[in-house]
Amino acid sequence: MGILSLLLAAPAIGILFLALTPKQNTTQIRFIANLFATIAFLISCWLVFSFNIHDGTLQFEQQFIFNPKLGSHFALGIDGLSLPMVVLASLLTSIALLASFNISHGVKGYHISILLLELGMLGVFLSQDWSLFYIFWEVTLAPLFLLIGRWGGAQRHVASLNFVLYTMGGSIFMLMSLFAISQYMPPHSSTLMASMSVAAQSMPKDEQIWVLFGFLIGFGVKMPIFPLHGWLPLAHVEAPSPISILLSGILLKMGAYGLIRAIVMLPDAALTLQPILVFIALFGMIYGGLLAWRQTDLKAMVAYSSVSHMGIVLLGIATLNLTGMTAAVLQMTAHGLIAGAMFLLVGLLYERTHTRNILDYSSLVRVMPRFALFMTITLFAAMGLPGTVGFVAELHTFIGGFQEWGFLMVFLGLSILISAAYAMRTIGMLFTGPVKPQMREIEDLRTPELIAASILVGSILLFGLWPSLLIDLSSATVNQMNDIISLSIQQD
Amino acid sequence: MDFLVVLIPLIPLLAAIYIGSDFLFNKNRKGNREAVAALVARSAVSISCVLAITLLVSDLSNNNDGFYHVGQWLGSKNLSIDLLFITSGYSVIVATLFSVILVVVTRFSTFYLFKEPGFIRYLFIFCLFSTGMMLITLSGNAVITFIGWEMAGLCSYFLISFAYDRPVATINATRVFVTNRIGDASFILGIALSFYYLGTTNWLDINDMADLLTTATATVIALSFAGAAFAKSAQLPFSPWLARAMEGPTPSSAVFYGAVMIHSGIFLIILLQPIFEKAPFVMALLVVVGLFTALYSFIIGLTQTDVKSSICFAITGQIGLMVAECGLGFWELASWHLCAHVIVRGYQVLTSPSLVFSVNGNPMRQVSSHLGNKRWLYNISLQRFWLDPIADRTLVRPISGLGKDLDYFDNNFIDRVMGSPASAATAISSLTQLEQKISPSEQNNDLNKLGRGRGFAGKLLEWMAGAMSWFEERLVLRGIGIEMVDIGKQLGHAANTFEKLLLKSRYLVLFVFVVLMIASSI
Repeated sequence: MGILSLLLAAPAIGILFLALTPKQNTTQIRFIANLFATIAFLISCWLVFSFNIHDGTLQFEQQFIFNPKLGSHFALGIDGLSLPMVVLASLLTSIALLASFNISHGVKGYHISILLLELGMLGVFLSQDWSLFYIFWEVTLAPLFLLIGRWGGAQRHVASLNFVLYTMGGSIFMLMSLFAISQYMPPHSSTLMASMSVAAQSMPKDEQIWVLFGFLIGFGVKMPIFPLHGWLPLAHVEAPSPISILLSGILLKMGAYGLIRAIVMLPDAALTLQPILVFIALFGMIYGGLLAWRQTDLKAMVAYSSVSHMGIVLLGIATLNLTGMTAAVLQMTAHGLIAGAMFLLVGLLYERTHTRNILDYSSLVRVMPRFALFMTITLFAAMGLPGTVGFVAELHTFIGGFQEWGFLMVFLGLSILISAAYAMRTIGMLFTGPVKPQMREIEDLRTPELIAASILVGSILLFGLWPSLLIDLSSATVNQMNDIISLSIQQD
Repeated sequence: MDFLVVLIPLIPLLAAIYIGSDFLFNKNRKGNREAVAALVARSAVSISCVLAITLLVSDLSNNNDGFYHVGQWLGSKNLSIDLLFITSGYSVIVATLFSVILVVVTRFSTFYLFKEPGFIRYLFIFCLFSTGMMLITLSGNAVITFIGWEMAGLCSYFLISFAYDRPVATINATRVFVTNRIGDASFILGIALSFYYLGTTNWLDINDMADLLTTATATVIALSFAGAAFAKSAQLPFSPWLARAMEGPTPSSAVFYGAVMIHSGIFLIILLQPIFEKAPFVMALLVVVGLFTALYSFIIGLTQTDVKSSICFAITGQIGLMVAECGLGFWELASWHLCAHVIVRGYQVLTSPSLVFSVNGNPMRQVSSHLGNKRWLYNISLQRFWLDPIADRTLVRPISGLGKDLDYFDNNFIDRVMGSPASAATAISSLTQLEQKISPSEQNNDLNKLGRGRGFAGKLLEWMAGAMSWFEERLVLRGIGIEMVDIGKQLGHAANTFEKLLLKSRYLVLFVFVVLMIASSI
């Protein structure tokens, strides 16, 4: 059994154990879930150390056919694009579980759902076969539906339904695109990503565009790109805080990850759609930033800032050059860390005060200095202050975009300005100002929360100060992808 | 002396009009209003009775022509409805008998109900009813008979709901009226069929032409009139209405259900003797229905513990026997039976309150032991053969369900499409509601504090954020997001309702009807 199967098996075995545990033993349930999430995280750490960063191709590959008629494989593999995502997924799941100690009802179902979600997310990043990818993609839906719909806020039913409807609607387009490609596959071929890319190259140009358009809708819903983000504010606000961490930390990255894979598969079409992608990215960034600026609800603010930040990823992808691609990959990790930390901290704050209205808070720095430190660093990272990982990603995007379009990047600058506006204002409103009586008796972060927060914030700072750690991890793969794209573009 | 026949129904009608208008327009007169009304009613019914007796005497001395033609009431091409009265034979006898009973009951009720609330109303309805009954018995035209028939039915409805402040009374009245309407529909069908086959609606002509009819046509016509008679005379399966009709004041029960109106059905059958004799199937049906009604009434009557109910089932039993007699061809016997029953039963119902008094301490006769030991029969008898629940289950509930569905359709589709004004129930009626409605603006207050920018750039930012937030709210969140869920829910709900409706028997029946209609039109 390969190491990747082992990684996938960790949450699966955890689910099995949880299913056999009586639901009254909540301590035991929490322990088992945390244990297996930690095992998965350790395995992914081990992957990082044994990963050859100079090799851009798939590593730790393993595959066997499970449906010979369709040619679908159980094919797992990892490269520089998926490795950071896998680590992020297992890390954030552990953190989400650490942040879930206040979940008091339906503990068993909750933990099973989270582990199932982890299984789905890891599967999406590990699978090297489109049919397997699609299965894991859909596996994430059910636990999220339950997690939002059962443990969420007041409007949870609408939010969960809305989320599922949007995502299912998007997946249909993705599935149609996959079918469209499979029309051009030679007989007895497989649905492996590699062979699908070959088939995609043989398609007529106009069909390629339609197929990419389908992928854009399918992955764009998850990412989310500008007009398809309707599920996000509701779902993020209504979901319990740990789930918000996973949603914005990993689930959004699944969309971006899939889109990068699709664009590498269809570079010609990507070149044609490039203006649309840029427009959507820039508009979405400003749009999300402005809306985030206008929110009084802290969680809604973070949710809209996610729309804005994922726009950077899309912009990086749209450049179709090396710097831009690197920026996209970097920003995926960066946003995973930042949004995860932000939702974690906001969730912890909400637990203590039971209000998410920014206007209710004031001068928190007196009572919660540690919280204030972490929150401030995270918000700085969100607005891309040098020294944080956000800056590295934004800088790359800026350079990549400038190479491609020049002064159009003014809008990127504008959106960064807007994000600075709301980040600074939030810092000001939360931590300074007159002392309010109801904000006097708030407990500062406890030790487990402190550990969780410091891992995330520590990584933000670490990668901000020493970015080559992160860049080197994926540079070989990004180089390879860029070669494929530029080769294909030059041929035309 | 034939012209007297016009006055017999007319005088009670004039009395009714006088009593009614006096009641409506002379509000100021005090004291003896009721006495005057009683006097008017009594004298009108009495005069009408005297006239009827005179008519009868003149008929018996063979001074009558047999019919009296007043004029044409309505004419349209072939259809001509004559104001025609029968002035000889059995009709006059029955009319005289009825009018005598009416006089007796009028006198009785002016004492029985004097100064009670609704006394004048009672007298008005009573006079109207007299007119109706005289029209039924004396009219020579089916349509005019039907008018009387309807007047009697309507008066019965009014008198059952005499105490209209009691919900039970009004429910019973409606039930009785609706049951009778089934018979009325049958009556109209009979009139239409006889006009279609015979080209006339005059009883005498119909009877004269009976020989020309084929058995099939005679059967159809006779069946229609038999249906009307069954409903009016409380034969199976319409019998249950009679027990409900006992709700009204005693004198009205006596005259409507003891003596007079209940007999109009059997009178109709006797009147149409020639037609019935041409239709052996209907004759057989009369026997079956009559005997079954008699048996039904007998079995139920055994377990009744109050005087009005036991009399009520005795009435249907006797009338069932009359119907059976007609069916067996003993027309003479049925006629005599009718007259005898009118007198005896009228007396019995009138004295029913004192009957209770006089049998006090005089125990009821035991039911014979081999009948009394049959528990299932006892149960059936107590439940009155479940006729009411059966009718409820098969007719009332599906129709009321259909009504509800149509009402729903009306409210939710037609009214919306036509843009009728919204109901007042959803309007804002209190200050709190208004405040609740306005309260979202509090959130805007928050926004006013937060979403503010200063300077040109700040204002631009504020304005753009506002515009985009509007777009987000209207289109992305509400338009696509929540609305999508809502629409999905509504569609699912609609599909569920549709599915449920499809499974209901009433729509199955409706569906069958529609298919039949389409099939017949092809």
